[in-house]
Amino acid sequence: MTTPSAAGPLAPFRVIDLTNELGQLAGRMLGDLGAEVIKVEPPGGDESRFIGPFRGDVVDPEQSLHWWTFNNNKLSATLDLTNQRGQELFDLLLERADFLVETCPPDAAAALGLGVETLRSSHPSLVHTSITPFGREGPYANWKATDLVGTAMGGLSSLCGAPGRPPIRPTASQGYTQASAQAVVGTLIAHYQRTKTGQGQHVDQSMQEAVTFTHDNASPTWDIRRINNGRPGNGREIGGYKSGQYVYEAADGYVAALSYGGLFGLTARQTIEWLDHHGMARDLTSEDWLAKLDATTGLLIPPAGDDADYLNETLVAFCKRFTRAQLVSEAQQIRNGWGIVHTPKDLLDNEHLSDRGYWVEIEHEEAHVTYPGPWAKLSKTPLTVRHRAPHIGEHNGYVYGDLLGISEDEIRSLASANVI
Amino acid sequence: MMTDSAQTDKVFAGIRVADFAWVGVGPLVSKYLADHGAEVIRIESSVRPEPLRRAPPFVNDEPGLDNSGYYADFNSSKKCVSLNLQHPDGVAIAKRIIAECDIVTESFTPKAMRAWGMTYDDLCEVRPDLIMISMPMYGLTGPWAMWQGYGHVLQAAAGISHLTAYPGEEPIGTGVAYTDFLVPHFAASALLAALDHRQRTGEGQNIDFGQMEAAIHATETMVLDYTVNGREQQALGAGHPDHRPYGTYRCAARGDDDDRWIAITVTDDAELTALADVAGQSSWTSLDADALDAAIGAWTRTRQSEELMERLQNAGVPAGVVQTPEDLRNDPQLAHRGHFWMLDHPTMGHRAYDGPSFRLSETPAELTKAAPLLGEDNEYVYKDIVGMSDEEYVEHLVSGAFD
Repeated sequence: MTTPSAAGPLAPFRVIDLTNELGQLAGRMLGDLGAEVIKVEPPGGDESRFIGPFRGDVVDPEQSLHWWTFNNNKLSATLDLTNQRGQELFDLLLERADFLVETCPPDAAAALGLGVETLRSSHPSLVHTSITPFGREGPYANWKATDLVGTAMGGLSSLCGAPGRPPIRPTASQGYTQASAQAVVGTLIAHYQRTKTGQGQHVDQSMQEAVTFTHDNASPTWDIRRINNGRPGNGREIGGYKSGQYVYEAADGYVAALSYGGLFGLTARQTIEWLDHHGMARDLTSEDWLAKLDATTGLLIPPAGDDADYLNETLVAFCKRFTRAQLVSEAQQIRNGWGIVHTPKDLLDNEHLSDRGYWVEIEHEEAHVTYPGPWAKLSKTPLTVRHRAPHIGEHNGYVYGDLLGISEDEIRSLASANVI
Repeated sequence: MMTDSAQTDKVFAGIRVADFAWVGVGPLVSKYLADHGAEVIRIESSVRPEPLRRAPPFVNDEPGLDNSGYYADFNSSKKCVSLNLQHPDGVAIAKRIIAECDIVTESFTPKAMRAWGMTYDDLCEVRPDLIMISMPMYGLTGPWAMWQGYGHVLQAAAGISHLTAYPGEEPIGTGVAYTDFLVPHFAASALLAALDHRQRTGEGQNIDFGQMEAAIHATETMVLDYTVNGREQQALGAGHPDHRPYGTYRCAARGDDDDRWIAITVTDDAELTALADVAGQSSWTSLDADALDAAIGAWTRTRQSEELMERLQNAGVPAGVVQTPEDLRNDPQLAHRGHFWMLDHPTMGHRAYDGPSFRLSETPAELTKAAPLLGEDNEYVYKDIVGMSDEEYVEHLVSGAFD
């Protein structure tokens, strides 16, 4: 059994979480920061409990790894918001809450009592955060969007993939992630204002607009040069200039090594020396090449044509000879910021993360499960992973009994009437 | 010094930030504060310039420390002083600035602040209630603490590139320095929570923010699928593990641009029926997934992306144009929300800046000015905030402390 616990900088505060997959990370981040987060779900269980993958691949609303990932540190209360008594109870809950985070479609909000003006007049001190595909208002407000539509409309997909081939997206949903994480920032800015005035406000978060944050330098590049950065494939594009290849195959997987592994730009000389130390610098140690590469130190624009091919072939041959760990640790010794392309297994085996105590074990009835740990280390008010995601309505007793002061008999009758 | 009355109603009025951070992550954290009224002072040097000041795009394609659009977009509403921390007086001057600040932000590898004697413990001696956030790639401790990196590489280290590829092909990752545009939200959330804690208790604190550790939280179920099911999830291009059709399809050329695409996604039977109706192809509801993908691709290839989006959305199908940077500037929804701000810069002219993606109903963001010139606010900061006399100011100027 889980109980509310106080830890973290937001420990004095309570959040009502009415989010689907678009916004679940927002509530969890507030929970990670120590707030008491009450996930309000319909009596049959939240729709996101049916998103896979599932433990053992068995579809079960209590075994969804999606649910587990995004709802630890939360409590669960069931409530039918389409029912008048349900809305009354919801209103009482909001009376006792500091934050509401919801993902209601704009055209359905009024019917569920989630209109912006309604909430502001009934709960003036509440910080009400809505996360929607395009924002609560505007010409696209009532359009639908999945994660891919969000990454497309926000401009990320046009920068992902290879030239001439279909635009792609990270297979883990970044539209939802960006919308949720940026909503937390907006929510906490509104919260800070409330500490000064006592007044809450509405935070209108759009997924599309959140995705525009990810376009790197593409926005000023269009503004200044009237060039659209494109899909660089295995490379990078800065200011409309194509950079070199950056992912190379090592003996045991892949490494990430920007700008032909640093063979041009500020790190060119020490990188050539490093290759030469292994007898694999080819002609790059010649006066001719060194002069050519020295000329690139002030710019981010790489050599092109045959020179580019030569650099690339040199690095391809070099990387294949060594393991990822050897390549990256030697690159780091010469202040060249290579990294390992980690698979999930690599991450769990990673010594650095273990050394920092990153992974946490959470107790489930079925097993102890390893989760990613806190995403920041605060010296005085640490973030914590306190407990697993809740079962359907697991905390109805606490929420309706302890918080709202409803008698056990009435809770039973609300349950049998399917209100909770 | 004058108090700007318009600034006093802002959320972070009276909060002052010493921003030592560079490139993406740090400046994007302090931008949230600056655009909501904090006085953010960037501390930079011409001896070792902030790398983004040297990165394109440049106005008129002319490289120059005050001419980079890359730098400008991340540094709206901020002030800037120049200070050479390698100069014998540099650290002492930095500490005098910090004594007048509520927050310090930095994103160097950990040895830099240690070498300067500017760790959190050191800085608490000049400012006991200080909040400091350090944002190195891999955190302040651990075997990789001193490793360097970039957002383009960190997306690979955090597992995001593993999930960003065409099926079965090399892990190319996103085409952007992705974690630079992901982890600032986590860092800002931690910082704001710490600021709230200080507001209530008077207590400052230190935040060790390892960028990689935050970025792993953007991999959805990748970790649990491995720790629970022992399965390593794989990249699916534009695709989705549970839904098809779910992809990007090439549309008709627009003018001479033959790189127009639309994202079309179907998550239930009603959306599939609606898609088939819009296409006038009732047989689509019974095609297998590969055949349907091919049929959709043939259908979209002869049609304009914007027109398809309108028709599909009006029928209830989640669909959207794969928008380019140019498209975003013309997007009616972003225009309705006022996403882009046009600001005048002394050397770069009238330029577009990105504002925050959320709208606060009572205290919305305001981008108060274009990015600062290097050292633009030296006189104000050193004389009015730090309290240097004219003589002392000139002395440091001549000695090269402000280089």
